[in-house]
Amino acid sequence: MIANLLSTENIVFTGVNILLAWSVYLTLMTGTLSFAMAAFMGIGAYVSGILTAKFGWPLVPAALVGTLACLAGGILVGFPALRVRGLYLMLVTTGVTLVVKVAIENIEYVGGVGGMGGLRGTTPELVLASVVVIGGALWLLSRTPLQRIMDAAREDENVAASLGINIVFIRVAGFAAGAALAGYAGALYGHYIIFIAPEQFDILYSVFIALYVVLGGVNNLWGPVLGAVVITMLPEVVREFGVMSSGFRSARQLIFAGALVLLLLVRPAGILAFRRLSIRAGRGRVPVGST
Amino acid sequence: MLAEQIANGVVVGGLYALVALGFTLVFGLLDKLNFAHGEVVTLAGFVALVAVQLGASVWLAIPIVIVVTGLSGLLIELLSFRAFTSKEGHSVSALSSFALGIVILEVVRLEYGAAPLNLAIPTTIYTSGISILGAPIPWVKLATLGISVVLMIGLHVVVGHTRLGRQIRAVGEAPTSAMLLGIHVTRVIQYVFVVASALAGISGLLIAMQGGFVSSEVGFTFALKGIAIMAIGGMGDLRGAVLAGLLIGIAEGIAIHYGLGGFSDVLVWLVMIAVLLIRPEGLLGGGRREVRA
Repeated sequence: MIANLLSTENIVFTGVNILLAWSVYLTLMTGTLSFAMAAFMGIGAYVSGILTAKFGWPLVPAALVGTLACLAGGILVGFPALRVRGLYLMLVTTGVTLVVKVAIENIEYVGGVGGMGGLRGTTPELVLASVVVIGGALWLLSRTPLQRIMDAAREDENVAASLGINIVFIRVAGFAAGAALAGYAGALYGHYIIFIAPEQFDILYSVFIALYVVLGGVNNLWGPVLGAVVITMLPEVVREFGVMSSGFRSARQLIFAGALVLLLLVRPAGILAFRRLSIRAGRGRVPVGST
Repeated sequence: MLAEQIANGVVVGGLYALVALGFTLVFGLLDKLNFAHGEVVTLAGFVALVAVQLGASVWLAIPIVIVVTGLSGLLIELLSFRAFTSKEGHSVSALSSFALGIVILEVVRLEYGAAPLNLAIPTTIYTSGISILGAPIPWVKLATLGISVVLMIGLHVVVGHTRLGRQIRAVGEAPTSAMLLGIHVTRVIQYVFVVASALAGISGLLIAMQGGFVSSEVGFTFALKGIAIMAIGGMGDLRGAVLAGLLIGIAEGIAIHYGLGGFSDVLVWLVMIAVLLIRPEGLLGGGRREVRA
């Protein structure tokens, strides 16, 4: 039964969702909650899909080109969009997701509303390797001064700016890095499901990715992993062990959303709140924000 | 023909404005983004359906819908907004209300399925009417427009010129100071949520009456547009939401006339992005909020 849970499909989807959760986490580290992840996922999937399906490229270089396209897109969108904050930014990034979806629907070259097929090549090994490499990179990032610069920019940008930190650069960099990661995840996702259509990169997907992160917490990079794994695997576990087997599929969203409302009520101080950074202080470093 | 599409656009715009008004009340005045608002619009149609099925007349169903949706506003405030007062509280409560909206939607879907259902109302209200410039306007559309305008004016007066309105604005500007001055902050917030949700209820009812059916899809569609229209119109100004709603409705009508139907759905979001980046306080907003840093 456990072996069934480790099916190719489960591994790929869980891995992709972990990468997506990290993309939100990476953006959130610079103080931005973005709902544009589904849009970048779509751009990554389509750009790499065109290269593999229409030009016969192998998957990995195509996925990297898709990632670079999203990095560029992230800078392009982030630079003007990050002038607004908080809930307003949530609205702008929601708009980005909706606009990108309709734009793809109107490009005949990639099949419009009907979608595009023939994307192949994602293996569970590739997904696992990607998760390990990117997770390792994020872990290394958390050990560097860059992490503390991001913390400072997020927690109090006036103080950070007075210390010579370029706030605009940090925020755009965080946004673009998140976009690039979402694009890479989109490329892997697209080349596993073979056939992609604009409707898969809907605003609901964006919100669900953000909810993975909220559910798991953002204290460190394992929180988003936890959220993504739990939400992706829970329905499979429940199905595998036969609890409420028939009704569960339809009630799955209901149970997930209801559980989330209750969970947030139990931890009202804000699951989106970051750690208080005191762990570092114990190792002889000056914690950010303590001055 | 163009006149008919524009007339339709005005009516649809009135509905957008009505949904946007609910968002503006909660977001513009209290700085809270209530994503569950759209699902209250959906809920309204199904409450009307149940009321009519249980033997109530259409006219009795209207107050029932308003009461039930108003009460749902209390529940939304309690579950998704009351507890979140931290620095990140605005974002957390927005996500929580989104999840709550999904709960409402899925409960409706489990009970009634995803397909639209007929609402037994007199068909004359949407088959007969008057004609303006050769464009036929059914009664229900005239009523929709009239109700939107009346509610907009009424709310504008209440928020701008009454004691309760002053209290609401005080709570929105500075909750702590408002509390120190003896305003029952929670009570005032509850009022706003009840009124906003009742507005969603009225919108949902009017939307259902346009075609005589209820559907679980409408809330999401109208909420997405309502949010964007709220942002276009100006966060704190109720007139702005109505103006933007009508403008977008007419623009969509024109877009449909020239065969750009698919484009009309994102038109509103393109306009919103442009407005937020060029004039973040919105068309009529007072510009007092810290949209930018």
